[in-house]
Amino acid sequence: MGTIKDRYAIVGVGESERSRKSGTTPLHLALDAANAAIKDAGLKVTDIDGFMNYNEGDSCTSHQLATYLGVRPKYVKDIQGGGASTEMLIADAVALIEAGQLNTVLIYRSMNGSSGTRVGRGYDPDMLQGALAGGSFVIPYGSASPSQWFGMYATRHMHETGITKEHLGHVCLSFYEHAQRNPKAFLHGKPLTMENYLATPDISSPFNIHDSCLELDEGNAIIVTSAEKAKDCKSKPVYIMGMAARQCHPHAHYWNDIDQVASDYVAEELYENAGVTPDDIDVASIYDCFSWVVMRQLEAYGFAKRGEVGDFVAEGNLKIGGKLPTNTAGGMLSEGYTHGMNNTIEIVRQLRHDYEGTDRQVEECKIGICTGWAGPDIAGAMILRN
Amino acid sequence: MTQAKTAYQKPIPLKDLDNAPYWDAADQHQLALQKCDDCMAYSQPPGPTCAKCGSENVIWQQLGDDIKATVYSYVVSYRPFLPGFQDELPTIIALAQLDKVPEVKIMGNILNCEEKDLKIGMPIQMTWVDITEDRALPQWIPAMN
Ligand SMILES: [Zn+2]
Repeated sequence: MGTIKDRYAIVGVGESERSRKSGTTPLHLALDAANAAIKDAGLKVTDIDGFMNYNEGDSCTSHQLATYLGVRPKYVKDIQGGGASTEMLIADAVALIEAGQLNTVLIYRSMNGSSGTRVGRGYDPDMLQGALAGGSFVIPYGSASPSQWFGMYATRHMHETGITKEHLGHVCLSFYEHAQRNPKAFLHGKPLTMENYLATPDISSPFNIHDSCLELDEGNAIIVTSAEKAKDCKSKPVYIMGMAARQCHPHAHYWNDIDQVASDYVAEELYENAGVTPDDIDVASIYDCFSWVVMRQLEAYGFAKRGEVGDFVAEGNLKIGGKLPTNTAGGMLSEGYTHGMNNTIEIVRQLRHDYEGTDRQVEECKIGICTGWAGPDIAGAMILRN
Repeated sequence: MTQAKTAYQKPIPLKDLDNAPYWDAADQHQLALQKCDDCMAYSQPPGPTCAKCGSENVIWQQLGDDIKATVYSYVVSYRPFLPGFQDELPTIIALAQLDKVPEVKIMGNILNCEEKDLKIGMPIQMTWVDITEDRALPQWIPAMN
């Protein structure tokens, strides 16, 4: 197999309304997002011959979406997956196009994440013990939320590297600042100060509500096709330079092995595939289910050395104007939450310079990184260019 | 006597084909760990085969009831995420690194511990709480010395 560098592109992105209570179904949200992405690309719906989505049992199926868009595609695929799935499904789409099976693929994530099924909440404890590998060794101790699972990693990592609560606050403040420039961000109009951040009690240490992603009703969609077909699209193509994914934990669970994360292993392969280094990256979307998860990935992807990530964020480097403008629409902490896809949409818009002439545009950005985190054990990431 | 069962609201560890020896030992106030008889790696939580080398040749090692450890990491939860924890907030959930087998870490609550006294590296001791007539849950308490 040859390299896929620069031979595939994201040509359309779109989203539904986002709210606490959509009053509608994930299918309706998916239809809105898909139609927006198709319009953005300037494609006809019948140009899409593959549909894929990831979900946690809380979405409509690809079959349903295609049906009610009025198309009969060649390929539909639904996976159970978390926050590395956008990048991993894009890789699947590229592979199927490369194999000559498909031409153009629409990938979506649609969920009533606030009014419907909430991720990591409200499950029957006995079901959880059975559903989670090794669940019997955590659920009886009250540990049932990603905040508690990732918090265990965070406490140890912060102890070893000198990251403080205030450092986590700088991640939140940076993203909240971006949300104030984005009228569609859920927390637009709700700025955050360090004083307020530090005065907010933890839900589960070391995380308070600001360290934790939003829970919202929303659908997102993106369209992937070949560089050749991208020329026929209305939008500016954003080319895929390289991708990588990895599962790292030696067990089918990560409860007791908290010193490594999959992002540590993805980074090297990613930069090699894309042919760039961290210094070449102009803009970033870093998966931000929790503030610390951003810190850990900044270390893994080589943006700051271990032990220096706290200073890196405190210096304002994640803000527009900093060394690595990150989650420039507000991220999942303050814009919206679709298991990472909203961050992918934002980096596409940055690299197309959609915000030209406004204070939201990262000026002259050419290369961006988009990272996914489905937990400490599974990561997927890609590097994009305009 | 079924009274104890109805009184205990928290999730009770589910035994399955692969983990039953761990929980059976716990019910007897003992610690047992799964170990690979080929590569000698411990598996915690246990599984159907050795997670390090894939060998089916896994055995159980009895470690007795005098289990000392140190706190490797922890979280303090101020909100109940599961039934039964609402009356005992905040909940300290810790990862304990065993003194005798440092490559093994076991999650549990630290009982009889003030949040202000909690820190990484603090010595703790395994204890067993009888949660129903026939089940016991391994837990941790601060070590006395
Ligand atoms: Zn082995």
